[in-house]
Amino acid sequence: MKLRTLKTIAAAFVAVGIGMGTASADALDTIKERGKLIVGVKADYIPYGFLDTSGAIIGIEPDLAKDVADKLGVDVEYVPVVSSNRMQFLEQGKIDLMIATMTDKPDRRKVVNIVDPNYYSSGTNVLALKKLGLKSWDDLNGKPVCGIQGAFYNKATSQKYGAKIVAFKGTAEAYAALKGGNCAAFVYDDSAIVAKTKDDAWSEYEMPLPTIDDAPWGLAVQLGEDAFATLMSEMIVDWHKTGRILELETKYGVANTPFAQAMHEEYK
Amino acid sequence: MNKKTDMPVMLSKPIEAPYTPSALSYWHILPIIAAMMIIPSLAFSAAGDEQLSPLAVLKNWIPLLLEGFVFNLVISVCAMAVGTAAGTALGLGQISPNSLMRSGSWFVTQFFRNAPWLVLLFFAMFLLPFEFSIAGLTIPMPDWFKAIIGLSLPVMANVSEIVRGAIRSLPSGQWEAAESLAYTRRQTLWLVILPQCVKRMLPPWMNLYAILTMATVLASIVGVSEVMTLTGRALSAEGGRPDLLAPFYGFVLLLFFAYCYPIARYTLRLEKKFAVIN
Repeated sequence: MKLRTLKTIAAAFVAVGIGMGTASADALDTIKERGKLIVGVKADYIPYGFLDTSGAIIGIEPDLAKDVADKLGVDVEYVPVVSSNRMQFLEQGKIDLMIATMTDKPDRRKVVNIVDPNYYSSGTNVLALKKLGLKSWDDLNGKPVCGIQGAFYNKATSQKYGAKIVAFKGTAEAYAALKGGNCAAFVYDDSAIVAKTKDDAWSEYEMPLPTIDDAPWGLAVQLGEDAFATLMSEMIVDWHKTGRILELETKYGVANTPFAQAMHEEYK
Repeated sequence: MNKKTDMPVMLSKPIEAPYTPSALSYWHILPIIAAMMIIPSLAFSAAGDEQLSPLAVLKNWIPLLLEGFVFNLVISVCAMAVGTAAGTALGLGQISPNSLMRSGSWFVTQFFRNAPWLVLLFFAMFLLPFEFSIAGLTIPMPDWFKAIIGLSLPVMANVSEIVRGAIRSLPSGQWEAAESLAYTRRQTLWLVILPQCVKRMLPPWMNLYAILTMATVLASIVGVSEVMTLTGRALSAEGGRPDLLAPFYGFVLLLFFAYCYPIARYTLRLEKKFAVIN
C-alpha cells in the first residue's frame, strides 16, 4: 500500500518533469499577457547594474530595460544575474530579456539570440602601481595578477601573457588585494579602470597598457523569438540615434566611451 | 558520621565538577567588534576626505543587510522543519524490522550525511526546474525554495542519525518491559521509546540547527539574495573600497554570532540537564 503510494508520487514527478519545457508562445504575447517584462541584469557591476541602499537595482542597463518595458506598455522586473547563470536563465525562460554586460561572442550566439547592433563595448586593461613601470602586456609574465571570477579575459591574460591570475569574487576584494600588494596588477574593464585612476585614493596607480580585446556587448533574447529580436534591434538603433546611451553614461558618472560616441554619429 | 573505612566509595570526598569553559557575556564581544570595525577605518582614514567613513557607509546599508539576514533565518527554519520531518521518518526506517526498509534508509542516510553541503545545494539549484506545471497550473520554484530543499537534505540525514542514535541509546529493558506488558511495536515506539528520546535528541538537534544557520550563507554561491550576496553587492555598489571589507563582513559575522551564540549556550544547558548518568 505504502509502496504503491510512493510509486504514484514518483510517476507524478516524472510526468511533471516531461511536461516541462514545452510551453512556448510568442514572447511578446506572454509579456503583454503577464503585464510585466522580466529582465536579467547585473547587480554587482557599477555603473551598469548595481544596488542602491534600499536594495533596488539601478544603473545604465536597468534604465535601458525600463525603456523597453515602457515601449511595450508593461511593468519591469529585474532579476539579478551573474556571468555564470545569465544564459541559462534566458534559455529556461526565467527571464525574457538579458542586458547583463555580456560580451558578444560567436559561441554565445549559438545559445541565445544576441540582437544586432551591439549596444555597448569595452576592452580589457590593467590597473597597476605607477612605480612598477609596466610597458607592455608581456611585462606581466610570471607576475600575480588579480581578476574577477568568471571574466573571459582571465584566461587570455594567463595563457597569452603568462600572468598568474588570482581570481576574486567581487571588485572590492580584488581592489583590496591590489592595495595590499598581493598582486602586481588588476585586470578588468577599461572603463572602470579609467574611473578608478581619477580617484584620489588611487593616485599612485595608472592604466599603463594599451587596451586589448575591445569587444562589443550584446543584449539577448531567447533563440527563435524573432519578433521580439526585431523590436529590440529597433530599440538599440533608437538608443544610438537619440544619444540615450551617452546620456545614461553621463547620468551615472562615466566618461562617454568612444564606442557609444561612434554609434551615435553613425545612426544620427 | 565519618566512620573509619578502607572503602573509597564510603569516603565523603566532594565530587569534582567537570570543567566547563566560562561563558562569554554579551559585553565581551563589544571590544572584538569595535576592533574589527574601527581599526581598518583608521588604517585607511588617509584615503580621501570627501568619502563617507566606513561606519557611515555601513549605516546606510544596514536595513538592507538585516533584510537579507532575515531571509537567511527563514531559509534555516524552513530547511530545519523539512529536514526534521523527513529525517525522523528516515531514522525510524533505520530501526525498522523490515530489512529492505532498514537498509534503504541506512543507505540514504549515509549518502546524504557524507556529501558536502555545497554539492547538495548545487544539485538542488541546477537540477530542479525554475517552475513546473501540474494540470495547467504553473507553480514557480524560486531560488530560495530550491536552497531550502538543498539544505534540508543533509539536515534530513543528520536528524536520521540523531533519531536512530537516541533510540539505540535507550536501555533494552525499556523494550522488554513494554513487550511484557503486551504493547505492540507501534505502541512501544510512540508511548515508551520516543517520549524518552525527545529530550536526548534536543541538544544535538539544536546544535545541528546552529550549524545549518551558519551554512545558509552557502546559498550566496548559487545566487540567492541572502545576506552574503547583498554584502557583496553593497560593496561593489560602493565602488569596491578596500576599507569597507572588514566593517561589512564584520557586521555579518556579528549578526550570525548574536543569533547562534545563545543557541549554543542554551544547548549546553540542556545537555547538562539531560545528561544520562548511568
